[in-house]
Parts: sequence; structure tokens; C-alpha cells
Amino acid sequence: MFEERSGAKLLRTASIFLLVVTLFGVLASTAPGQLQIGVYIYSAEVMIGWDPSDGFSDEIVVMNNVYERLLNYDPVMDEFEPVLATHYEKSADAKTWTFYLRKGVKFHTGGELDAEAVKFSIERTIERGQGAAFIWDPVDYIEVVDSYTVRFYLKYPAALDLVAAAAYAAYIFDPDSADHEWFIAGHEAGTGPYMFESYEGITRMLLTKFEGYWGGWEGKHFDKVLFNTIPESSTRRLMIESGDADFTNRLPVTEIEALRSKANVEIVEIASYQNLVAQFNTEKPPLDNKLVRKALAYTIPYDAIIEGVLKGYGRQARGVIPYGLWGYSERVKQYTLSLETARCLLDEAGYPNGGFKLLLTYVSGDAQERRVAELWKEQLAKLGIELEIRGMPWDPQWALARSPDPNARQDIFVMYWWPDYTHPQSFMLALFATEEEISFNLDYYSNPLYDSLIDRAMQLSATDREEAINVYAEAQNIVMEDMPGLAIYDMAYVRAKTVTLKGYVDNASYPHVVFWYNCYRE
Amino acid sequence: MIDRLSNAFRYIKRSPLTVTGSSIVFLLILVSLLAPWIAPYPKDTGTSHIEEAFHSPRLKHPFGTDELGRDIFSRVIFGSRISLKVGVLAIGLALLIGMPLGVIAGYSGGAIDEVIMRVTDTFLSFPSLLLAMAISAILGPNLRNAMIAIAISWWPWYTRLLRSEAISVRERDFVTAAKAVGAPWGRILFKHVLPNSIVPIIVQASMDFGGVILTCAALSFLGLGAQPPTPEWGLMTSTGRTFFLTHWWIVTFPGIAIFISVFAFNLVGDGLREILDPKMRRARR
Amino acid sequence: MASYIVRRLALAIVVMIGVSILTFLLTRTIPSDPAARWVGPHARPEQVASARIKLGLDKPLYVQYYRYIRDFLHGDWGHSIRTHQPVLRELFSYLPASLELILFGMVIAFALGIPLGIISAVKNGNTIDHLSRVFSIAGVALPTFWLAMILQLVFFKELKLFPLAGRLDMMTSVISPIECVTGFYLIDSLVTCNFAAFGSALYHIVLPGITLAAFPLGLSARMTRATMLEILGEDYIRTARACGLREVKILAVYALRNAIGPVLTVGALTFAYSLVETFLIESVFAWPGLGYYASNAIMTVDYPAIMGVTLLVAFTYVLLNLIVDITLAFLDPRIRISYT
Repeated sequence: MFEERSGAKLLRTASIFLLVVTLFGVLASTAPGQLQIGVYIYSAEVMIGWDPSDGFSDEIVVMNNVYERLLNYDPVMDEFEPVLATHYEKSADAKTWTFYLRKGVKFHTGGELDAEAVKFSIERTIERGQGAAFIWDPVDYIEVVDSYTVRFYLKYPAALDLVAAAAYAAYIFDPDSADHEWFIAGHEAGTGPYMFESYEGITRMLLTKFEGYWGGWEGKHFDKVLFNTIPESSTRRLMIESGDADFTNRLPVTEIEALRSKANVEIVEIASYQNLVAQFNTEKPPLDNKLVRKALAYTIPYDAIIEGVLKGYGRQARGVIPYGLWGYSERVKQYTLSLETARCLLDEAGYPNGGFKLLLTYVSGDAQERRVAELWKEQLAKLGIELEIRGMPWDPQWALARSPDPNARQDIFVMYWWPDYTHPQSFMLALFATEEEISFNLDYYSNPLYDSLIDRAMQLSATDREEAINVYAEAQNIVMEDMPGLAIYDMAYVRAKTVTLKGYVDNASYPHVVFWYNCYRE
Repeated sequence: MIDRLSNAFRYIKRSPLTVTGSSIVFLLILVSLLAPWIAPYPKDTGTSHIEEAFHSPRLKHPFGTDELGRDIFSRVIFGSRISLKVGVLAIGLALLIGMPLGVIAGYSGGAIDEVIMRVTDTFLSFPSLLLAMAISAILGPNLRNAMIAIAISWWPWYTRLLRSEAISVRERDFVTAAKAVGAPWGRILFKHVLPNSIVPIIVQASMDFGGVILTCAALSFLGLGAQPPTPEWGLMTSTGRTFFLTHWWIVTFPGIAIFISVFAFNLVGDGLREILDPKMRRARR
Repeated sequence: MASYIVRRLALAIVVMIGVSILTFLLTRTIPSDPAARWVGPHARPEQVASARIKLGLDKPLYVQYYRYIRDFLHGDWGHSIRTHQPVLRELFSYLPASLELILFGMVIAFALGIPLGIISAVKNGNTIDHLSRVFSIAGVALPTFWLAMILQLVFFKELKLFPLAGRLDMMTSVISPIECVTGFYLIDSLVTCNFAAFGSALYHIVLPGITLAAFPLGLSARMTRATMLEILGEDYIRTARACGLREVKILAVYALRNAIGPVLTVGALTFAYSLVETFLIESVFAWPGLGYYASNAIMTVDYPAIMGVTLLVAFTYVLLNLIVDITLAFLDPRIRISYT
């Protein structure tokens, strides 16, 4: 008797419970909607950095709605949009830059924007030296000309407008509130259209509109914007599909395919400045041999990767600089899959039947990198080369690449790269230039000719961009010949948004950022 | 000893659950031994066919194909080899560390015992999965290191077990007698203490087998265990996670494989304990 | 009794010191350069060097350990390498979500597991016993991370009964935000009469709660069964039976009272186990709790965060053990004696 009675009771309790829960669920989902709330579901944590000087991570998706820069850069039109500076001018030698500030701009913390604030912000960022502060390296000193004019004197010619428009380390904030402890305790001191309202850990941030925003609130805008971290791509897909969220930054191609047919969803695909880079350990046999490295470049199944892994959302890279970023050049050599050529090269290098083992490291959890590696492994196996694929958390992967003994390091380092600001030097310098201490030149390549070429290109970029592009092309061809590494593909960013979200424009200079002030819901 | 084991067999036959468990385990071993012959696509442990990606289960691919077009059925079959290997090696290693320490602690007593047992306590204060995660992250995630990590988080249990066995054996007449005639303690350990502890060790180890398989799968799921393209079950559920809502079969089948094998080993372990552990038998009466 | 408690406390302290040393050594052997991480990926060598001094990494290991423990005891658990936030503050912001989930799971587990265990003990040896045994062993054998996904498949995708992930419906969190009192959404929303939020929170906790309950359900059922069997075999029960007391009364009064100890043990064990289990399922359910925090810390090799989580969990383990042991000693004098 005992078990029957309790069994029935259990069942009854359970069903009542279910009913109550479902009822509450229905109640909860029918909420009034006077406020316009934009919802951005993001694949990673949204609030890694809180200090506007230091932030060098995903928080830019939030920060760009809270803080502003002197300028924004539009890479498609190759134009600068005035933000806190209404206009600017540079001297003929590109060593003196003067910015004229917008008047009547208020900080969320109460102060008003002036030249002192700009000087203070940039100087603080440079002094703290965190994150992307190095982009200000050309700056010698900053002068306050008058309340609304600020002048930068440079040590050497540089494109300071691009620096001032950088996605990181270029925010202007209220000097009276700028305190690191105060920032990281969850405060901000920006001029942007939105302010912090509430947050939860680093995974959720709710912004609310700043009434005193200089742009005003005429017309259609969102009142609040919610940023939520949701790592699971299938969850994000479903939330877009159901209209629970307006926008998500990136989805794997399988999810994109599933969304294609939905009428209420719009897929936005744009070329990004992000590419997948493979760096070869040039200090360790057998990859210390240029012939072997070139052979490897012929073993990558580029087309199969673009088709199979990216499903066409991307293109084979040419050289190192991604397609769409100025500096990309058709004159740079491009490799193709050719096992015969690879075999010949290996023959010449003294490895007719392969017979060696290589270790490839990538960031564990990245399905695309993993699949690329798996496809590559199959090709290498045909040449008698065994590829060990090791997914590691980024930090140990990077630490292994910097171990003191070159022989203890990996053979092939695979990672994504994207620029700190819209300049090809980000790729050229970090990945292949001679380094005293290993940072991101994980091919350990050193070539004085290459170094001098990119130095020249960097300086030229402030005055003569065409010539700079030529020099960069020359430098890239050196890389393609010596093959310390190469970019495998240039990614396309694929975003999914609801059809009703209007006003969204993707800007590859500010990866994954939605400028919510410009958006509205129809 | 033999008497006890043959007794055990008689009990096993009487308990249907234990019979079920042992049959599954036997089947599992058979499958893993015959994997290259049973699996329809033995090459799919490594080779991909992108053009056949995401096929739902059908005659040609009973469990469907994954995101690289590999036959999941074949990969699940080959996965049994990995899980069994991990179980055997990790427990073996844990025994190798844990048993001598336990015997030494129990047999010598005093300060040595105290030190060993406090270290053991320290290790036992960590949830084993957490410790294994940390160690695997430090050693660098791959299958071998995952096994080492599991062994390191598992040995204290055997130390405890062996210690108490050693203490009880130490007091027995034949050991006292051996001591009295001046037998060296190493010999006493191997001739008397260890053989007498075999039964509880078998029980404990068989009960742990499932746990080890589960832990290994969990580590791989977190990216701290086997690396692709290894057909490890936990890893398969982990890589399938991105697609599971649209392609249910990718995670479902490897997960069932984990569940069934852990379940089977637990049944066997449970059965063995009831049979071999006299205390439990009394309670069942 | 007092001497037992003192000895038990001393032991716990020794173990805690051991745990802290072990954790410290583990995190320091991670192949990583925390100073380089601290300043970010493009820092210059001199920045790394200054960060190394700031973080005290230039000092010998034992000095670093001493400093860590000193600060630890003063409530300064270091700063996360990744977010530069104080670890203790981060832990406290993630902890309530996990605690709420764990307790919810335990309630489900015990509500089902204990009756199941009793039934199978009373019906020892028959079909129901066998079934319940299968059921409880199965609960232990389920890979929770897989179960989580299967539940999502069934209840979210197919039946559309429960939400897929998260702790609260996003719109609810904006329109009727929960005022933080305890950090437990279910309690906070009830106390503040925020029923919309309560419903949403309850709605969201069901699937992860069931997932988390799978293991303790089996465990509590098995433990209840074993305890019941032992007790039912005791002489005084047999006497009671012989005296013609009704079965139900025997169960309720005599047997269950004696089962408190084991139940307590299982409760503590379950709690500790669930704490770790959250590492596996919180990411599947996008549940912003300790497990989510911990797996992120491990993946990004954020060593102060790893230290913080590990010590928190391990100390919880030690404390739970301590509490259980001392309570058991109060309940049953035999333990005190057999211990010494």
C-alpha cells in the first residue's frame, strides 16, 4: 500500500507544480512594453574591462555606447566622422595635429567637455600604459590651445586621426571622476548616449539613456539597452528567432543556415579585419627549413576550409593583411593546395616521405580552428607528416609559445588576429617583425630588410598612403617567400538581427559594436 | 580466496541486476576489442567527409554523422576503447600511488601514518573533479594528462582503504607470528597484508571504474581532456554542443554510450560489494 | 566530547592549511605568465616587469604564499587577472545563483529520493526494490552535462515547456528587476512581491534543478535504503515488530529518527558534489553562478580566481565534514569513542 499511495501523491504534487510553474511562466512573459529596450546577446563576457584607459577586450561593445572618441572612422568610405571633435587639421609633415572640440558636451558625471579633459584622458591612458595604450606611442606631448582646441605634437609622422578613432584606448572621460578603483567598482564617466543602469557580474549590463546627451533624443531611439552574455550559439539563435533579442554578434554557419529561412530574421554579412593566422616555428627543425615551411603552405586545403568550415562566409587570405583593410594588395602571392608541389619541396628539403611530427596549438573551444586543423591534418597525413592538434586555453598556449627553449615550443601556432586600430601595421609588426622579447611574433622570424620596410610603410602611411601600400605589398611578399607564417582565411562577420531593428550599420573598425543610439525598432 | 570468488559467482547468478551489468561490461570489452571489425567506417576516427556532414540517423549511418561528416556509430564504437583504457590506466595509476602509501601508513603507524593521512585528507578535501580539472589544466589538456589528473585526484581513497585493512591485518595472529619469527616487513606486506586486502580493493576499484569514465568524459567535455579528433565520448558531446538543438543525434548517442557503460560498471561494482562485503550481506538478509 | 571537538577542529585546520598550500602550488605551476596577462597582450617588457613587482611575483614562493594567506585572512583574495576585479567580490556576486540552484536541486532530490529509498528498503528484494536500485544507480551514472542537453532538447525544443537557459527572462529582468536582498531570485522576488519575476525565476530554475537533482536523487535513495536496512535489522525494531507495533509507526518513529545521521551525511555530500557539478551544467544553462565563474577562470587561467574558487569550495568541503562529524558525535556517542 505504502508505495502506491506515495506514488500517486508524488504524481499529483508534480503535476500541480508543473501547472503553477507554467502559469507563472505565461504571466512572466506577458509584460507591458512602453519602454523601447534594445537587446544585444553577445557570445562572450561583455564587461571584461571597466577602466576606459585600459579596456582592450569585448567590453567595447558596451563602452562604445557610453564613451565617445574625438573621431570615428568609416572604413568603407575611408572617411572620418566627427564625434567629440568637429574637425581637425594636420601639418604637412604629419607631426602636428589640431583637434577642434564640440561645444556643450556633458559628461554623465556632470562636468563639461573641454580641451583639458581631452588632454587629461589621453595622457592618463598613455601613463597607465595598459591595454592598447601603445597606439599613442607617436605622441610627444599634448597642448591645450584654448578651451575647445587641443594640439598633439608627435615624435614622428603618424596617422593620428586613425589613432584617435581607435576602438580601444581612445575614449575621452571626465577628469574629475577618473579613478581606477572607482571605474572598476562599476562606474563610468563618459559622454555617450547611454549610461550604466545596472549590471550583474561581467555577463549582463543594462544601459539607460543619458538625457543630457549632446545629440539629443529627437526621433526614434531605444530608451534602454541590455547586453547579455550567452555563450551557447544555439541559444542565441533561438532568441533571435523568437524575437527575445534584437542582435547577436556571431553565429556558427550551421546556425546561420537555420536562420536563413526565417522571415523575421536578417543575416548581415560583412568582411571583417579578422583573419586566421598560422605561424611556423622558424627556430625548430624541421620548420627551420624554408622549403618545408613553403611545402606546408601548399598543404592547406584552402577551398575545402572556405566551403566546409566557413560555408563560404569568408575568403582565402592573400598575404597577411585582410581583404577590405587598406593595405591589402592583389600583388601579394597567394598559395593554393598542391600536394605535388609540396612533395617536391619536401624532397628538395630532404624529407621525401615526410616522416616527421608537428604540433599545432589552437585555442580550445574554438570549433572553427579545430575543424581547420583537422582538415589540414588529413592532407599532411598523405605526405607522411603527422600533425598533433592540441587545443589549449589561450594562456598556456601563449606561454608554451614563449618558452625559453625553442624546441619546447609548438611547431604551428594558430590564432585569430585583428587590428588594434584600422592600420595594417597591426598585422605586419606584431606577427613578423623582429622582437627582443617574444610577444606575438610566434614564428620567431627576424629579417632586418622586412623590419625596415614596415617601418618605412608606417611613416609613409601618414602622408602618402598609396606608397605605403606598395611598401607593405613588398614586405608581404618577403613573408610569402620566407614563409614564417601566413593568414589562411579572412573571416566574414555574420550577424543575425531581427528585421525590425533598423539603423544598424556595421563598422569593421569597431568589431561587433552596435551604436545603439543610431538604431531604433520599427 | 578461490572459495570466496566461486561463492561470488554463485551470488552473481542470483542477482539479475549484476548479471545485466556484467553482460554489458563483457559486451563493452568485446566491442572495444573488435572495434576495427565492427565499426562500419573505422577510418572515421580521423578522416572527415565534409560533404556528408549532419546526416541524420539512417541505415548507412545508424547514429548519423557529425559536423565533419564522420560516422558517429563508428566513433562511438572506437570510443569504448578510450573509455576502457582510461578506466584501467587511471585506476591502475591511482592504485599504484595509493596502495603502498596506505599500507605503509597502516602498518607503520605513528608519525608516518599521521603525515600520510593528513596529506590524504588534504587531497580528499578537494572535490575530485575540481582537482582533476586544475591538474589537467596545468599539465596541458590531453588524454594522457587527463588520466594522470584523475589518478592524482583518486589515489587517496585507496590509501584510506588500504590503511584500515593494513591496521586490521596487522593485529591478526599470522602477521604477529611472522613478525615474531623476524620476517622482513616488506615481505609481510606483500605476503600477508596485500593479499588480504585484495577483495575490498576489487570492490572499490570496480565501483570506481564508472566514476573514472564519467570524470574523464566530464574533463573532455570541459576541453580539459581528450583533444580532437579523438573519438572520446565526452569530447564528442562537447563538440556536438554547438549543434545539438538542430542535430540532436550528435550529442545523444555518445552520451548514451557514457551512461550505459558507467551504469553497467556501477551495477557490477554494486553487486560485487554486496557479494564480497560480508557486512552488506548481513544487512540484506 | 570537548576533546573530540578540539581534535576535530585541529584536524580541520591542518587540512585547510594543506589545501591552501596545495592550491597555491597548483596555481603557481600553471604554465603562464600572470604579469604579462595582467597588462594585456600588447604590453612592453617594462610594463610586464612592473606588473610583476606589483603582483609580488618577483618574490620567492614562500613569501608569495605568506602574503597571499595574510591578505586572504584579511578578506583580500587578490584581483582577477582578467577583469582586475577583487576576487572575493566576484565570488560573492556569483555565489547566490549557484546556492539557489543547488538547494533547489537538493529539495527535488530528497523529496523523491528519501521515499524511494524507504520503499525499496521495506520491499527489500522484490521488484520495487530492484527498480529503485536501478533508478538510483542510473542517477549516479548519468553524465549531468549530457542530461542537461537532453532535458533542453525534450522540454525546450520538443515540448516547449521550459526556457532553454538563463536565470530570468530578459525582459522581466529589465521591466520588473529583482531587488537584491539575499541574491536568491526566488526568495527576493517573493519577499518584494514581484510575482512576475518570481514566475520567471521559477520557470528558469526547473530544468537545471532537475539536472542537478539526478545524482543526489540516486545517492539519497541508496543511502536511505542502506540505512533503513541496517536499522530494520536492529534488535529493537525486531522487538517492536514482535510487539505488534504498526509498520508505519515503526518506520516513522524508530527507524527514521536513527536515519538522521546518514541523511545529514548525504546532505552534506550532496551539497559538496552539486557545488562541483555546477561547473559542468551552469555553462550549458547559461546560469551565472560559481561554476560558470570557475570554468571561465580555468579556461582563461586566471590564477587568483582559480585560487579563490578552489579554496572556497575546498573549505566548504572541510567545514561541511566538520559540521557533520560533530553533529554525528552529538547524536551517537559511539563515534566519539571509536574515533579515538
